[in-house]
Amino acid sequence: MQLPPKVGIGRQRSGLFTGERGFALLMVSPGLLVLILTTTFPLAYLIWSSFQNINLAMPFLDGFAGLDNYRNMMSDGRYWHAQQLTAIYTISSVFLQIAIGLGLALLVMQIPAGQWLFRIMAILPIVLAPVVVGLFWRTLMLAPEFGIVDFIVRVLGFGSVNWLGSPTPALISVIIIHTWQWTPFAFLVLLASLASLPPDIYEAARIDKANAFQRFIHITLPLIRPAIIIVVIMRSMIALSAFAAIFAATGGGPGTASEILNLYAYKTSFVELNFGYGSALAVSLLIITLGVSGILFHLRTAKRN
Amino acid sequence: MTSRASTKYTRNAIWFVAGGLLLFVWVIPLIWAVIVSLKSESEVLAYPPSIFFEPTLQNYRDALFGGVSILPSLGTSMIVSTATTVLTIVIAVPAAYAFARLNLRGKKWLGFYTLATQMVPPVGLVIPYFLILNKVGWLDSYQGMVTVYLTFSLPFAIWLLVSYMEDIPWEMEEAAFLDKANRFQTLWYVILPQVRGGIAVTVIFIFLNAWNEFLFAVQLGGNTVRPVTVAMYNFVSVEQTLWAKLSAAALVAMVPMIIIGIAAQKQIVKGLTVGAVKGGGRR
Repeated sequence: MQLPPKVGIGRQRSGLFTGERGFALLMVSPGLLVLILTTTFPLAYLIWSSFQNINLAMPFLDGFAGLDNYRNMMSDGRYWHAQQLTAIYTISSVFLQIAIGLGLALLVMQIPAGQWLFRIMAILPIVLAPVVVGLFWRTLMLAPEFGIVDFIVRVLGFGSVNWLGSPTPALISVIIIHTWQWTPFAFLVLLASLASLPPDIYEAARIDKANAFQRFIHITLPLIRPAIIIVVIMRSMIALSAFAAIFAATGGGPGTASEILNLYAYKTSFVELNFGYGSALAVSLLIITLGVSGILFHLRTAKRN
Repeated sequence: MTSRASTKYTRNAIWFVAGGLLLFVWVIPLIWAVIVSLKSESEVLAYPPSIFFEPTLQNYRDALFGGVSILPSLGTSMIVSTATTVLTIVIAVPAAYAFARLNLRGKKWLGFYTLATQMVPPVGLVIPYFLILNKVGWLDSYQGMVTVYLTFSLPFAIWLLVSYMEDIPWEMEEAAFLDKANRFQTLWYVILPQVRGGIAVTVIFIFLNAWNEFLFAVQLGGNTVRPVTVAMYNFVSVEQTLWAKLSAAALVAMVPMIIIGIAAQKQIVKGLTVGAVKGGGRR
């Protein structure tokens, strides 16, 4: 895994004073110490507990478990199902966010004045707590009959849908909820990125008689590709750790229909009280997250060169 | 003349479509929540959903001063978020300064380490924290909750601040050096005034994230420390959901965030973009 080159640390001129490493160490050590204590130590603990039997419901069985938790995981259909859902959830919601966000950004770029109004509207979902978003959608938007979405669907003549109570609609719903909340993020970042492009390159293309679509494919897209890749990275990380909105809307249900890896690890630990197995599930999620971020960062560096 | 008029017409049409789409999709849930929060619980369940009704403030009264008041939880959220923010800034500013501008051995790896800590999924932390805090006796305590919140606020703050500090021209520090200022004085009198904006953005993001956090709050909190995101669940139960009271409570809890969001809209977008250009950023 590589650090993105633009990140800056270690890249530029070192400090003015040589022989002041002591001061630098003094500045950086409280932060590092707190990071090690608050993140690395608990993660080490998580890895340790993933090799243990820790079951608060059956504490008499606690003890070293070796690879048992991981072996069980490999033959656990619910685990593979959760992993599949995680992939579907992450890929589709990130794709939708980018596609819709970019479309809207291109649209709003055409508007000569009043872009601030759109930016303010786009800020609203971003500042809401995901748990509130989940609760609002569960009740006000998707509840059968009384929710707005269901009301509209009924008025349009498709009949009432049990959005959160039947398997496929529940999965689609949690993807829509996530997309709803975070598309404005992609929109705002891509809008800023579009606004920073120099206008004269478009002039040149126009003189060369390139149509709008050609201009988009050959000029705009390559220029904003770095921004798109970064949004993909940031949104994938968030999608992989999404919890509160799904928890509030479906709780992973009905059954396990919207139970992504996060929720499975959570439920195993805090509902079934099997902390050993829950830890192993969380470790696998951790590995997946780091793997995905590694691939995406690599992609970013490769694209740049 | 005609073509200019028709271009203007097209522009207005685009305006209209884009505005309508955004408004409808992103603002309607909030507007609807406001409407529902002004209804009586029986009015909420009228079909078709009513637009005209006798508005009442009873739900807000119940949410704030009723049997399951969220007022104490608002206080809790305030304490936890403020403590997290202050502590994070105090620790992150010097660290970011060292990363961005000082001669530090292994800087690249330390930077990578900071970035990696930011990617840890919260569920991978809530499990060990439950076991650890249980042993230490810090479950349902303020010190425990703030400790846990540092896991997401600190890496994020360091990264955001590094990207702001890198933008300061080196000449300013050189001038301070020639004036015989020591390193502390340089940080305090030269660097800090330059990154005030960056610190403000960081504060906003940390406070927002801490206020909106749910997973740690629900699992590591309890009767003493119950942030408002958890308290809202009082209005949702298996048997019935009190829609109007839930909407009122959720809106009260979110009003500070909405105000911050609108007031600091420019800074938030800038923060998102800085994060996007330089890499990293939790949200």
